[in-house]
Amino acid sequence: MKKLLVLLLLSLGLAGCGSSDPSARSGHDQVLTVAATAVPHAEILKAIKPLLAKQGIDLQIKVFADYVQPNEQVVEKNIDVNYFETEPYLDAYNAQRGTNLVTIIGVHIEPFGAYSRRIHAIGDLPDGASVALPNDPSNDSRALLLLARHGLITLRDPDNQLSTVKDITANPHHLKFRELEAAMLPRTLDEVDLALINTNYALSAGLNPVKDALLIEDKNSPYVNYLVGRPDNRDDPRVKALAAALTSPEARQFIIDHYHGAVLPAF
Amino acid sequence: MMSLLQHWFPQIDDWSELGQACLDTLTMLGGSLALTVAIGLPLGVWLFLSSPGQLKAQPAVYALLSLVINILRSVPFIILMIVLMPVTYALVGTKLGLRGAIPPLVIGAAPFFARLVETSLRDVNQGVIEASQAMGATTWQIIHRVLLPEARAGIWAGITVTAIALVGYTAMGGTIGAGGLGDLAYRYGYLSYKSNYMLVTVVLLVILVQILQMLGDRIVAHFTRR
Repeated sequence: MKKLLVLLLLSLGLAGCGSSDPSARSGHDQVLTVAATAVPHAEILKAIKPLLAKQGIDLQIKVFADYVQPNEQVVEKNIDVNYFETEPYLDAYNAQRGTNLVTIIGVHIEPFGAYSRRIHAIGDLPDGASVALPNDPSNDSRALLLLARHGLITLRDPDNQLSTVKDITANPHHLKFRELEAAMLPRTLDEVDLALINTNYALSAGLNPVKDALLIEDKNSPYVNYLVGRPDNRDDPRVKALAAALTSPEARQFIIDHYHGAVLPAF
Repeated sequence: MMSLLQHWFPQIDDWSELGQACLDTLTMLGGSLALTVAIGLPLGVWLFLSSPGQLKAQPAVYALLSLVINILRSVPFIILMIVLMPVTYALVGTKLGLRGAIPPLVIGAAPFFARLVETSLRDVNQGVIEASQAMGATTWQIIHRVLLPEARAGIWAGITVTAIALVGYTAMGGTIGAGGLGDLAYRYGYLSYKSNYMLVTVVLLVILVQILQMLGDRIVAHFTRR
């Protein structure tokens, strides 16, 4: 009995040792880890994964549901690169955190949109309407900037990427703002007059930004989504291979075929 | 006082927002605790009485109640909140804000409290129950005049534990726009790296829990002496 126990523990220990160092696995596959949000980032990565496999690179995609961990994990070198954020968001992160993550290549744009199940055109927005926004600093401001650009409100500084509801200087339609978790916004459509939703969450909820959005960012949006890495791995050949794969003709075709204009290639 | 606070915590630019968050947490707590006890207490009594060897022992009923309670307790609160959204919407007309937070808080905490009630009732001296039965007391009389009074201290201890558990649950409020201290800690402390907020909200929450525990201990002591 005791022998069996010792044997069991030993084999568990060896198994543990074996899996802790994937890059030491001899053979042809080099591993590259990337942190991404689910839609469309992880889907695009999955689509180009075979391109990298042909070059002997095993792309391991780790999906995250929030916008903080993908950066944290890359900073801590647990993950090599990430693909989920815009440059303004990265800049804000670097400034607040004192880190120096870098953009490697721009891949796509997801025009941020305003959706409603209660009205069919933005002009029908009633006075006193309830408007739901993301509560995280970067998307909160992106939503407000979109509203300001269309004249629904006035912001103290229309270029401030970290604007909040407190920076609204004029609200002529007396809009009532509710800030909540970005991922929750599609579920609020039955309760609010207008919801400003990130495209990745809108797509997950079955909304089509091209057909359903009442307001949408135009193609000149500065919110291109980038592949992001560290200064110490930006020139790594595996990372460069990933950057090339993400901006390849196959990637472009995939994006155009799958997202019907809701996601646009930025290359 | 204000300028001292502003000096120590320069990242906090709006103290009234912090004040509002405190109020939101307290509102969520107050609203849900009352209902949790109102629902959990009868549920716990029913659970106890239908258990093997008790006054209204009915294995099928006990098994069913246990199953429902176990399932509700197994689901992590954030998931429970999302899964219950259609129910919440039907009950209070919204799934957002303070109103939208109360149903999931109650449905999450009541089963927990019911179990604590059941445990307290088990500690009641069987002899006293049997004596009341011998005197011809009805079930309702036994519950009302024997079981609950005898288990009072334990039940109040259970209320204290449940209240503090609820404070933890209310941290999820921000997801649905219900506000609260947990929401501020998450948005400003975690998402915006303003550690001042983390510190202040944690201190406030510790104070809140300490007060709840102290109050609870006083009440339990009062009922224990008798």
